[in-house]
Amino acid sequence: MMCQDHPGPGGQESAGPAFSALLEDSAEDLYEHAPCGYLSTLLDGTIAKINATLLGWLGYERDEVVGRRRFADLLTVGGRIYHETHFAPLLRMQGELGGVAFELKAADGTRLPVLVTSTVKTGTDGQAQLIRTTIFDARDRRAYEQELLRAREEAERERDRVQRLVRTLQQTLLPPALSEVPGMQVAAYYHPASADEVGGDFYDLFPLTGDTWGFFLGDVSGKGAAAAVVTSLARYTLRAAAVHDPDPATVLAHLNTVLHHEYRGADPRYCTVIQGHLRPAGDAAAVALATGGHPPALLIRADGTSAFLPDPGGQLVGALPNARFAAVDVLLTPGDTLLLYTDGLTEARTQGRVRYSEEQLRQDLAGLAPTTAPAVITAVTGLLAGFGDGVEDDTALLALSIPLPGGDRP
Amino acid sequence: MTGTPFSVTTRTTVTGPLVTAEGELDVVTAPRLRAAIGALPLGRGRLLVVDLAGVTFCDSSGISALIAARNVAEAAGAGLALVAVPDRLSRTFGLIGLGDFFPTYPSAEDAIAAHT
Amino acid sequence: MAPTQHTFPPGGWQDVPVSMRSRNNVTVTGREDGPTVLLAHGFGCDQNLWRLVVPELARRYRVVLFDHTGAGRSDLSAWTPERYGSLDGYADDVLAICHELDLADVVLVGHSVSAMIAVLAAARAPDRFAKLVLLTPSPCYLDDGDYRGGFSRADIDELLAALESNYLGWSATMAPVIMGNPDRPELGEELTNSFCRTDPAIARVFARVTFLSDNRADLAKVTVPTLIIECRNDAIAPPEVGRFTHEQIAGSTLVTLDATGHCPQLSAPEATAAAITAFVGGP
Repeated sequence: MMCQDHPGPGGQESAGPAFSALLEDSAEDLYEHAPCGYLSTLLDGTIAKINATLLGWLGYERDEVVGRRRFADLLTVGGRIYHETHFAPLLRMQGELGGVAFELKAADGTRLPVLVTSTVKTGTDGQAQLIRTTIFDARDRRAYEQELLRAREEAERERDRVQRLVRTLQQTLLPPALSEVPGMQVAAYYHPASADEVGGDFYDLFPLTGDTWGFFLGDVSGKGAAAAVVTSLARYTLRAAAVHDPDPATVLAHLNTVLHHEYRGADPRYCTVIQGHLRPAGDAAAVALATGGHPPALLIRADGTSAFLPDPGGQLVGALPNARFAAVDVLLTPGDTLLLYTDGLTEARTQGRVRYSEEQLRQDLAGLAPTTAPAVITAVTGLLAGFGDGVEDDTALLALSIPLPGGDRP
Repeated sequence: MTGTPFSVTTRTTVTGPLVTAEGELDVVTAPRLRAAIGALPLGRGRLLVVDLAGVTFCDSSGISALIAARNVAEAAGAGLALVAVPDRLSRTFGLIGLGDFFPTYPSAEDAIAAHT
Repeated sequence: MAPTQHTFPPGGWQDVPVSMRSRNNVTVTGREDGPTVLLAHGFGCDQNLWRLVVPELARRYRVVLFDHTGAGRSDLSAWTPERYGSLDGYADDVLAICHELDLADVVLVGHSVSAMIAVLAAARAPDRFAKLVLLTPSPCYLDDGDYRGGFSRADIDELLAALESNYLGWSATMAPVIMGNPDRPELGEELTNSFCRTDPAIARVFARVTFLSDNRADLAKVTVPTLIIECRNDAIAPPEVGRFTHEQIAGSTLVTLDATGHCPQLSAPEATAAAITAFVGGP
């Protein structure tokens, strides 16, 4: 730079001779003592020329190498196989190849991680003549790559660990199997939105007294460990309260008191729940339901009519000190199916990215009548599969039905 | 991520703080609304006004943040008013039985006028 | 199913059943009325490695090429570690291709590990094949007693360990190098795809299967006329191994090319094609 910027006559005279002396010296010296290895080989890999830098790295004398060894002989055995099966064929096909990682084996047996770039020199007739190879010391880079690799493996292990933990925790929040209810069919499904986080949806179906079963399905606000704590608290509170007094509105009021007491203030935790009990009688079943701020249950009658069960103003559970809840009664008769779901289903984004809706759900399922609990769950899981990643939240489903006489085939 | 970028702005009126939230109020953005409200000076008898006119989406985390706002106000002996609640959010409040839980007004001016 | 028209010199695509075409990227070219030559590529490559010998073979033969499941443009989703954890899975694929394309009197040319895949396929269905050509074969890479495969268990472990711990060198390092050639468009996507798709997990299993299999006992089961082509200097399959293979397959012919390396179809394509055509004969 200085020579070009200040080409004064005096400067030229004083710097000129030294500068050109440098230039005269450089061609051969640069080749021999460049800060990288140079190597020229015949097409079969026999080393024809090698610079002093590379000889120094390897600890060989020139005449131990030139005309006696092939490039692949300088590699570790693993590297040689890689060279023969990948590097050499690619180089032959495309004429050049760069930045490939190998390890060189020095005369004393030590290994030197390098990056190798090769080009095939062709003559005027287009025929390949020899291979020129440049070799860079890659110890630092290899150490860095090893560190990256180690960090990635660590991250993958950690992720696996988290996912295992999440699966386990999720399983503890769902019943391993639903209780059997004589004369009825029951089916449930849980669709986790994420493998990395515990979802906040829950359900259960369990015997209360000799002829009565309790059930619930709900959705805790939030996700992850903090939500899982609330889910767990909600589950055992609902089960214990139902044993004490099975009236669904009373059970929800009890849960409301517990949650509101536990999580008041700046970090409120609440949930939406449908709590119910059912009592099979003859070929029918009497169901009582109370809703706490939850999307309404869908009833698909044997005759093809369908409707959402009315909700007499049940409030979110845990948000208010004295929330109101009231129960409704419904009689299920043969061919009727009752579906409880969470809003992960009705707020899923459909193919057109529009959010699905309760009304759309009702229309999609009404055609199944008369149907059964397992058939409805199968239909809805099919819908969820169709939404793909449009299902942004966890989804829980619980269905109850009374089979038609003469089998469960609709 | 689609939709309007979320923002929270705060200013002071004669009756107390006015917080304006805009954009999607969800699991990602709700903590920002909570933090903004938690940092407000709220004295006894004052009114916390939250303007929701620009909120395009509100999920359960957003509703939690609003319930938290009410609890914070109540603890300070202050009041809470939601103003310009979008229709969709009003329907959600109805569905989850919170239709009469939050005092709501058409505009901040109305809320302030009702308080004074 | 209507035949799909493609232009692919020199012979063009013919109607290949979709299942095999998609799973193993089957390509058919050359003379429709000629003998059928099925080319099976080896470890680390895909069917592109045949491209310097295909023009000569296609003048005389109907040439069928494919990518092993897990390599090149094959359907990677069809690869499972169970099925492709032994060479039998690959031999099954070769037989499935023959079956689906209804190939008869096939000359099966297997390079490197595919030479042993060819041995297994021919032992299982000898009626399907007219002849075998084993290009730089090795029935066993490990030294064992008096047998010299050329490698010790420690050498192979070193290769496997290098793959396990250094697959950055296989994917991240290799792929950008090959893709980063905007001024050489003729290299085209075939190369890029071929090597970008060397999924590290698949490469590891294939390397293990390739270098730890011992198929010495299978050589004697070959009953069809067999040509063995080796190179004078091959670091992967040394001359002792070529001789051993020749001795174990009754009536086989051994040709030693004056070539270096493990891929004579690239380093000496004319000589390789000449050796194949001299053995196969035909038009």
